[in-house]
Amino acid sequence: MIQVIDLSHFAGNRPILQGLDFSVEKGDFVLIFGQNGAGKSTLLRILSGLIPAKKGGVLLNGKSIAHYSKKELATLLSFLPQSDEFDLPILVRDILLAGRYPYQSVFKKLSARDHELFAEGVEYFGLGDLLERNMQTLSGGEKKKVLLASAFIQDVPLILLDEPVNFLDPGSTFHFIKMLDSLHRKGKTILLVSHEIQYFFPYANKILALKGGRNCYFGDKTFSDELFQEIYQVSFKQTFVGKREIIFVNEK
Amino acid sequence: MKNKIWLLVSFVLILLIVAPFFGIIPIDLQGILKANPNSFIFWHLRIPRTILGFTAGAILALSGLICQNLFKNSLATPDLLGISSGAAAGAVVALKFNLNLSFLGVRGVYICSYFGALSAVLFVFFIARAVKNSSLYTYLMTGVAINFFYSSVIVFFQYIFDYSDTFSLLRWLMGGISVAGYGEFIFLLVLLILFLVLVFVFKKEFLLVSAGEEFAQSRGLNVANFRIRSFIALSFFVGGVVSVCGPIGFIALVVPHLSRSWGESHYNATVAFTFLLGGGLLVLADFLARTLIPPVDIPVGIVTSLLGAPFFLLLLIVQLKKNN
Repeated sequence: MIQVIDLSHFAGNRPILQGLDFSVEKGDFVLIFGQNGAGKSTLLRILSGLIPAKKGGVLLNGKSIAHYSKKELATLLSFLPQSDEFDLPILVRDILLAGRYPYQSVFKKLSARDHELFAEGVEYFGLGDLLERNMQTLSGGEKKKVLLASAFIQDVPLILLDEPVNFLDPGSTFHFIKMLDSLHRKGKTILLVSHEIQYFFPYANKILALKGGRNCYFGDKTFSDELFQEIYQVSFKQTFVGKREIIFVNEK
Repeated sequence: MKNKIWLLVSFVLILLIVAPFFGIIPIDLQGILKANPNSFIFWHLRIPRTILGFTAGAILALSGLICQNLFKNSLATPDLLGISSGAAAGAVVALKFNLNLSFLGVRGVYICSYFGALSAVLFVFFIARAVKNSSLYTYLMTGVAINFFYSSVIVFFQYIFDYSDTFSLLRWLMGGISVAGYGEFIFLLVLLILFLVLVFVFKKEFLLVSAGEEFAQSRGLNVANFRIRSFIALSFFVGGVVSVCGPIGFIALVVPHLSRSWGESHYNATVAFTFLLGGGLLVLADFLARTLIPPVDIPVGIVTSLLGAPFFLLLLIVQLKKNN
């Protein structure tokens, strides 16, 4: 679905990403991790088509991402920004309906398909009571849920998320991950950047470890303490509670 | 919310009907039907002045609302882009050089200030293009520079003007809506209707940009393109008002603020409140301007700023207190 070919990016002369090569298949759940400043967010923005890569390319369904129009791209992928601060009041309903924007033209009203997906999203994420609320008044967990629902209503095969559970309490984090996992099970391809690897590692099927803008490891998820040591300079351990996989920082 | 709208509609209607009767010369009901000086004042000065005030106020308030959405900031106004100072500088040049040109019956001062407003936005646009950075920061900073530039142009001409000219210039710079006849009103009415159409046609886009740049882009909106097109359109609407009425402060800042809270974040309701409140407030301010200390006809720009500034501070304090 996504092919990244010799991708490099710079801020001025400072390299942010260097010579990345990897490809993501349909239905993958890729966890991207690395230290602060490793280039994770930049990579996600390039893959989302928000910023053009300085060197190399990204192919989406075999076509360079630079050759898609903004609207075309928005029918293929949705990006959840890290910030969920809303500077101006806006209704939850409008944020959800924004997911249908790429399918609409200037004068046309919402189609039956638009209404259908909107209703499905509201139902699936349990947002019925929030529709007339202002986004600014929602809790962090509710905001993230609405943003994920908006991506669902957007009806795209690929969802990219930047630190989606930042500042969420454990309960909200759990519910968010459950929702995301259920979207993955429905066949969505997920690319996710997060420091909360303890939470996401068990759900991913592929991992991409970045260090200083370089690809440290990309491939099927396997637990490797050496990899975590190299990235975070602390030791990690894997254990199982029943069938449930748990990883944690193993230091005294 | 519905009740509030109807209350505001009736208030505005009463204001529009009552206001023309008051002024330096009070006019009674019988006076307006006979052919006498009073009826001339009523039909050719007061009525046009009142409805011009309403259209100008509505355009200013709507431009504030849209500007806030585009800048994602509830303190943004078209003044940030240098539109008002550009328009003022254009008018000053026209007055100084006595440009008596006219186009389709529109006076030279209007035309010049109109192009002044447009030049400010185009300048911001070209700078953003040149540095290939269309972030809000670019617009704001370039706007600051342009504001300084045009302000000094205005002061410079003011300094080298004759005293007699300076007075008419000063009068214009303080903002006023005294007009004779219906020409200016029709000009602004066309702008207002066009503006309202665009505000509703591009509702989805204005909502998207207000939600955030990355969010909007990821939903398929080319934010940079949309923003600059909107700015250019705004300069046409605001430039129109400033060229006729001079710079009138605070309507664009205060009204959208109130409308958002009254409209409970609903776009259509917020637009409706902005339209009614913007128009109503300017008519009210102008009504006060000509009745407060007769026989002085205070420039309405002074009234809106005098009342607007404390009112805005009050709003701010209430809001800050609520946030704490």
